Amino acid sequence: MKNKILKTMAVCMMAVLLAGCGSSDQAKETSGGQKEAGQEQNADGEAATLNLAYQYGVAYAPLSIVKEQELIEKAYEEATGKKVTVTWNQMSSGADINTGISAGSIDAGFMGAAPAITGVTKGVGYKIFTNLSGQEHGLMTNDANIKSFDDLIGSSNQIALVNIGSIQHILLAMALENAGYDPHALDANIVAMAHPDGMAALESGNASCHLTSNPYIFKERQEENLHEIMDVTQAWGIDDSFIVGVASETMHDNDPDLYQALCSAIEKAVNYINDNQEEAAKITCEFDGNSEQEELEYIQKSKYTIETSNLFELASFMARTEFIESAPESYEALVFDNVSGN
Amino acid sequence: MNDKNRQIHAFAARAVFVIVLLLIWEYVAKSGMMGEKSELIFPSLEAIGDAFIRNFIQGYAGISLWVYIGNSMKLLLEGLLIGVVLAFLLSGLSMVSKIFYDICNLVISVFDLLPGVALLPVVIIIFGVKPGVIVFLVVHAVLWPMSRNVLDGFLAVPQIYVEAGMNMGLKGASLLWGVYFPAATSYIVSGLKVGWARAWRGLLSAEMIFGVASCPGIGLFINQMRTNMNNAEMYATLVVIIMIGLVVQYGVLSPIEKCTVKKWGMSR
Repeated sequence: MKNKILKTMAVCMMAVLLAGCGSSDQAKETSGGQKEAGQEQNADGEAATLNLAYQYGVAYAPLSIVKEQELIEKAYEEATGKKVTVTWNQMSSGADINTGISAGSIDAGFMGAAPAITGVTKGVGYKIFTNLSGQEHGLMTNDANIKSFDDLIGSSNQIALVNIGSIQHILLAMALENAGYDPHALDANIVAMAHPDGMAALESGNASCHLTSNPYIFKERQEENLHEIMDVTQAWGIDDSFIVGVASETMHDNDPDLYQALCSAIEKAVNYINDNQEEAAKITCEFDGNSEQEELEYIQKSKYTIETSNLFELASFMARTEFIESAPESYEALVFDNVSGN
Repeated sequence: MNDKNRQIHAFAARAVFVIVLLLIWEYVAKSGMMGEKSELIFPSLEAIGDAFIRNFIQGYAGISLWVYIGNSMKLLLEGLLIGVVLAFLLSGLSMVSKIFYDICNLVISVFDLLPGVALLPVVIIIFGVKPGVIVFLVVHAVLWPMSRNVLDGFLAVPQIYVEAGMNMGLKGASLLWGVYFPAATSYIVSGLKVGWARAWRGLLSAEMIFGVASCPGIGLFINQMRTNMNNAEMYATLVVIIMIGLVVQYGVLSPIEKCTVKKWGMSR
């Protein structure tokens, strides 16, 4: 009997020890993270580091230029005479980047305007430091009978888009509201799947509509049996903010030199891509997996600028239609001081 | 008496283990070990508890978590049932026909390696865009490991049993039913356990990538909570998933085990 109690206690002890190991590992990781932040803080230390997170596609093209031409490293060295190590992490969604920044393992990231607004209003601890690009979006259908929202609302037609709550979903709601309908009138018709899967579903006739963005929208526009429902195209165009950059407040406050270097590097890359489209396409096509000609076409059909556009309007719309819980007070609450636009 | 003591011990050991884990979680959450934004990314147990209740009362988009669970369970049971029946069919036929066995063995080895979500594009083209896609992915998750288990069970049946059965005049289906099935029950039960866990995981990962908004499931709910940075709600949903898993484990699978292999003395 005694023996058994002893055994049970042994098992408990083991559990405690195991769990203890786990938590001390975690502690190590965080202290590592703090150390990195610390390195940024004392700008007179040897080497600063910058952890960046970005996503994939033509909308992020200026980042390939920044990376390839080492613009951040150069700008930082020019300003301070010191070196900075930049780490680029490709991540698959804005939500992942949000978690990374709030955990302190990422200093700045690039994502859709919608997850960035969610992050700012949720208090992740970052603000938008630059606009990156604007893109075309559109709702394509393979059914000749579908001409407007009237034909979709209340029907069983399915609309493929990348995710519920994604920017494409918000644009659908916006277009519905502009046309005088309930913004959530088509929510039950949505099927969430990645862009290429949605394109395959539309072309094979499995879904009747696909709401997508550059470059898929251009590929679909070339197909003869597909046509576009223009409301979405008009709701949010190439001039409106689509991809933005966010930087943690810690980095902004503690290492202004690094923050400045980041901003100026993005500006340089955006100018470069606008002035030398062909050269830029050569650099970025490898990263995006397109041929040079395709890449050039997609770049020409994008708008790259560091000035935001209609960002606050988007945030207000998201709050009004319950995509986010609380509205930001003003445009200034969304962005850092150096950002221009609205 | 001894048996009862053993049960009490097992319960006490588990309870202490769980409580210690929870205490560690709470300590990490409260100590701010995870940085400034600790409350956001590593919520305390109270916050998760609140979120747990909120999930069921408010839910997301005006739909309570119950509805999401119901939708998921429906697809899961459908897939699980089809998967288990197909697994028995495949392994049964393999014992009857040598050629079928050779092909089946290859097919199981190949398909067991493929993650269901990687097949998604093909599945969408074949099945279209409907909840059936999720059912297919659940079947895919269950069928191969389950078939492998049942087949291994059949192969492990001592030749002497099979010959005894044949002497009694059993062959084909009656041999399967009369000898192979009862003799391989412990493998079948462990196959069921593996199949259930695989089905559950397959369902959630499929729902996180492919969401039909007219039939939203738990995977979609988790994804939504993650997108909106509602981490407490997300963890609370994980707790729900664990609870469902435990209910099935102790409410369904354990009794099956008790009535068959344990009762027959095939396993302890």
